[in-house]
Amino acid sequence: MTALSAGHPTRRIDLAGVLLTLLTLIAAAIWFLPIYWALVTSLRFDADTVREFSPWPSNPTLQGYIFGITNSNLPVWYLNSTITSVAITVIAVLVSACAGYAISQLRFPGRRLLWWIILASFMIPVPALIVNHFIIIAGVGLLNTHLGIILPMLITPVTVIVYKQFFDSLPREYREAAVMDGASEFQLLFRLFLPMNWGVTTAMAIITFIGAWNSFLWPFLAANNERMMTVTVGIATVQDAFGVAYGRILAGAVLASLPVALAYLLFQRRVTQAIALSTGIKG
Amino acid sequence: MASVELASISKSFGAVDVIRDLSLSVEDGSFCALLGPSGCGKSTLLRMIAGLERVSGGSVRIGSRDVTHAEPKSRGVAMVFQSYALYPHLTVAQNIAFSLSLAGRPRAEQRAAAERVARLLQLDHLLDRRPAELSGGQRQRVAIGRALVREPQVFLFDEPLSNLDALLRVQMRIELAKLHNEIGTTMIYVTHDQVEAMTLADRIVVLDRGRIQQVGSPLELYNHPANRFVAGFIGSPGMNFVPVDSEGRIPGGGRLPAVPPGATELGIRPEHLRLTGPGEGHLDARATVVEHLGNTSFVYLDSAAGQMIVEADAGYRIVPGDTVGLAFDPARIHAFDDKGLAIG
Repeated sequence: MTALSAGHPTRRIDLAGVLLTLLTLIAAAIWFLPIYWALVTSLRFDADTVREFSPWPSNPTLQGYIFGITNSNLPVWYLNSTITSVAITVIAVLVSACAGYAISQLRFPGRRLLWWIILASFMIPVPALIVNHFIIIAGVGLLNTHLGIILPMLITPVTVIVYKQFFDSLPREYREAAVMDGASEFQLLFRLFLPMNWGVTTAMAIITFIGAWNSFLWPFLAANNERMMTVTVGIATVQDAFGVAYGRILAGAVLASLPVALAYLLFQRRVTQAIALSTGIKG
Repeated sequence: MASVELASISKSFGAVDVIRDLSLSVEDGSFCALLGPSGCGKSTLLRMIAGLERVSGGSVRIGSRDVTHAEPKSRGVAMVFQSYALYPHLTVAQNIAFSLSLAGRPRAEQRAAAERVARLLQLDHLLDRRPAELSGGQRQRVAIGRALVREPQVFLFDEPLSNLDALLRVQMRIELAKLHNEIGTTMIYVTHDQVEAMTLADRIVVLDRGRIQQVGSPLELYNHPANRFVAGFIGSPGMNFVPVDSEGRIPGGGRLPAVPPGATELGIRPEHLRLTGPGEGHLDARATVVEHLGNTSFVYLDSAAGQMIVEADAGYRIVPGDTVGLAFDPARIHAFDDKGLAIG
């Protein structure tokens, strides 16, 4: 006020803000360095990868990418990853929305018990169940099938919890008004509650897709036939076959992570929302 | 149109009895207000008529049908909620026609119905807007439109004007009255605002703690309250109450004529008290607050019989601290026994 009235507006430097920005930039640079290095290495000849230490390739080449696409099952792995990830996303989100709706809105015997079971299942790490999953899936003859990869990955308690909390937060009057209008439970869910905020569903779909695409352990166990592998598992076999051919390996890794990176860039806001929704629950 | 009959209705939430053995008859085509303080059970009663709450005992009839256990959608009733409950992702037209859409009616029929109702409510220029783009009054009209499109036998309103500002509330009150005159459908209206009930309804049901205190026309309730609760609840400002002994004396004052035997308390409305000089009325009092409303004034006074409110002429000269006399109009005194019931 004094500065303004004197006619000399002063600009205060926010030291803490500048320091925080610098620290954030440094942290971001440290985080980005391996990604950048992988990108650069994927554009080098294999012979150069262990010789050059420059921040950009002296002889850039797409050899690693061409090799990956033409001399491996990468297109098939891509297709397998797409089929399984899309199926997991669609089914898991749909089932979670229905489960979240039922627990939030319907009154039936055992509702509270079911809710506690879902909460408890959230606390069990997936690797702890992986042997059981393997025995069951092998027992029903679903190893090396898309269904075998998909089924155990449909267990997504976080999505159920997010949906339940979302439905809980909606005012009771919406439901009652629609019931007076003659809505059935399915109409309530699919014509009213979900369309009211597609943001939640979009966020859950993106985070489920990314998780499914990036998953390694279960697809690695469930598919040992090269034609049924997903891209993350397939890339690992390339590594085995070519030893220390870093350029090819990293070109494959870049190709494998491309859809997820694109999904993140396109739906950045939704991904952030999804992480906020699910970490809010974890906290 | 249809009448509504409630027979020995009761409702309990666990060990708490919200409605106790309540019977009520709402005539076909009437405008009935359920009036009472918060927590008296009026909204619960409305929700039981709507089918949104199960009854714990008794029966509900709408027209000639027993709908006690019927689903809300098959009762022939439509409800307007306090919060409007408009679906935010749908346009005004889609909101109005939502029930038709759920029933699988053709799109052209839905649009035609929405346009017809929108014309009636002067919403026709807003059909493609979403609720977030509407004012409070417009939202309220859409909520009414959504109820109208179903052509119900009975309209239920749950405090529909509570979220509006004072001016809009008066406007919507007039529009609701016009709507009722126009369509003539039975309307049941829940409110805690006695002005809304008095101005809109041709029949008021006053409720307290889950029981009906009195049923009657607005003027019946105002002029002949059945008990102390109704006398105190109806009227703004409220009725004055003073204790009285068996000889008709009030504390710190004189003796009032024509006090019926058995009366322990007297009630008198602010407009039936007259300000006089000190010692000239039935009771002396000291003014504490004076409210000038332009057309009238309300004077709040402290007396030996308790706090009193008097409606005085707009030009009456009185300031806080003045001592005056209060003269009771004997013909307008209400007498109550020790149970709070009106005598005489």
